[in-house]
Amino acid sequence: MYLGGRFAWLLRSSTLRLALILSALFAAGMAVAVYVAISIGSGVFERRVDTTLQALMRASDLSGGRGDTFGVILRAPDDLDDLPRPFERTAARGGGTVDLGQDFRQSDTWRLLVGVDEQGAPIIAAVPLEDAEEALELLEGVLWSTVAAVIVLTLAVGAVTGVIAQRRLQRINGTLTALATGDLGARTGMTRAKDDLGDMARQLDVTADELERLVAQTRHLSASLAHDLRTPLARLRSRLEMLPDSEERGAALEDAERMSGIFDTIMRVARIEAAQGTEGFENVDLGPLIKDIAETFEPVIEDAGKTMSLSVAQAATVFADRQMLIQAVANLIQNAIRHGGDHIVLVAQDQAIGVSDNGQGVDPENFAEVIKPMVRLDAARQTEGTGLGLALVRAVADRHGAQLVLSQHAPEGLSVTLNFTNL
Amino acid sequence: MRILLLEDDSQLGTWVTNGLREEGHVVDHFENGKDALIAAMGQDYDLLVLDRMVPGLDGLAVLQSLRASKNSTPALFLTALGEVDARVEGFEAGGDDYLTKPFAFAELSARVGALGRRRDGGNSAKANATILRHADMTLDLLARRCTRQEQEIELMAKEFKLLEYFMKRPGRLVTRTMLLEQVWDMSFDPTTSVVETHISRLRTKIDKPFDTPLLRTRRGEGYVFGR
Repeated sequence: MYLGGRFAWLLRSSTLRLALILSALFAAGMAVAVYVAISIGSGVFERRVDTTLQALMRASDLSGGRGDTFGVILRAPDDLDDLPRPFERTAARGGGTVDLGQDFRQSDTWRLLVGVDEQGAPIIAAVPLEDAEEALELLEGVLWSTVAAVIVLTLAVGAVTGVIAQRRLQRINGTLTALATGDLGARTGMTRAKDDLGDMARQLDVTADELERLVAQTRHLSASLAHDLRTPLARLRSRLEMLPDSEERGAALEDAERMSGIFDTIMRVARIEAAQGTEGFENVDLGPLIKDIAETFEPVIEDAGKTMSLSVAQAATVFADRQMLIQAVANLIQNAIRHGGDHIVLVAQDQAIGVSDNGQGVDPENFAEVIKPMVRLDAARQTEGTGLGLALVRAVADRHGAQLVLSQHAPEGLSVTLNFTNL
Repeated sequence: MRILLLEDDSQLGTWVTNGLREEGHVVDHFENGKDALIAAMGQDYDLLVLDRMVPGLDGLAVLQSLRASKNSTPALFLTALGEVDARVEGFEAGGDDYLTKPFAFAELSARVGALGRRRDGGNSAKANATILRHADMTLDLLARRCTRQEQEIELMAKEFKLLEYFMKRPGRLVTRTMLLEQVWDMSFDPTTSVVETHISRLRTKIDKPFDTPLLRTRRGEGYVFGR
């Protein structure tokens, strides 16, 4: 359909839809009104004609022969031979409307009544209705034209307001999309409009201002937090390095390194959670990626006294941050080494990448609990088998709009995958 | 090398200055960006070591000003902002390397050395060599072959890459972070013992069967290959 292309949005315009519905309702209402008006109108007209005819009959005297005058027929009931047959039949019925089907004296419809004249003798009176019919038809025509004009006007006004509203909605939509994809500077700029859409747009701009301010504040906070913590750590490290070489010095240095490692991870999770948009994203082939990860981690897994295998099937290409994916899978492997069974499988299947093992797994009732984000870190840490690792994996999944799926790896064990199907 | 150091924390600054001086460098230490910028404009340094966050004119602004005036002295950022976007910002401002606090002095020293060599143009013949030799060890980068004392050693892909990295830096300290970044392309610490495990595997193959070990560990600092 032609409308399906360029003008499809027009059909989605709520204003235009409303105009269409109102037009339809209006047309239906008017049809009823016109019908009623015409019925009543013709009834009233007939009664008026009848009154006139009655008066004419009572005032007539047929003793002098036919009383025909000014197009009105006034006769004795037995003197109808020169008139078309329907007149006689109607007279025999006692009067009514005569439908001739063809013109007789320029009218195909007549009104005929039977009564008594001045002398009390029977008499019929008939009058052509052509003028009245014409008047009614004219009335009908005027009414229907009015209906049509109003409908056309309603639709036109609907279309114009629809187009205007649509433009403004598109602006609001565009702003929302820009905000959602990380452009925190996006605003509708609709500051002058005084209607409901204008109010909404202004509210959106105010909310976006607040969002931008909060994000900037978070960035600033994490930056100064990082600075405030890393500087003393750096001092500690430098002092340790100044000590004479010994076993203790090496151990202390390793502790310091571990400490900053944990801090780095916390900072990274916070940053991933705060990040917006798709900056740093690229097309990543999950198959080669998981093979590369396997090459790096297989010796680590073997040194932990476990075995590893790869399961790659129809692995897709996803739009993602490669480093983050590696980091997430590395964390899953680490979890599996620490808490899983003695065999670990690295999986890349369709649009999912992840790790499963044959250990005790996690009670499915606790699935929701173990993937709680950063805010529930402390609680999550007490839950068996999780720690900072899953908080980071969860953050990476959220960052990509991917699903973090935990499942029972049959018959036992845990499988954790990042599923990109929605992308 | 003549090195300019911008670091507002005097304790850290002194530590870095002393360390670099011990290694034979000449170091000018500044605690604010303005003085550092004036000095860098007036004198010819071989390397700039700049803290990202100092009050007033910070390291990023100093380097941007210098690069705007066509000064191409190599620059290494020291920072408490370890995140990727801060790193990218640093590189965009014209930085050549990026080191997150806290760092091991050995790490700084290794990176300072690398930037100094880049300044010298490097030994291009050596950089492009396809066969690396050290003592009784030979690594053929094209044939992907490794031999020691004429004995063929089978290496996995990552082990080969690791050994290649070491053999290109004989006698120099190589840190865990450097290995993660250069050999594994990981800008993060995977917390599992990836580096240690691969080093240990490599050792089993290249050192264990022979009398003299080539790959040594410096605890808490990193690894040194060769003499």
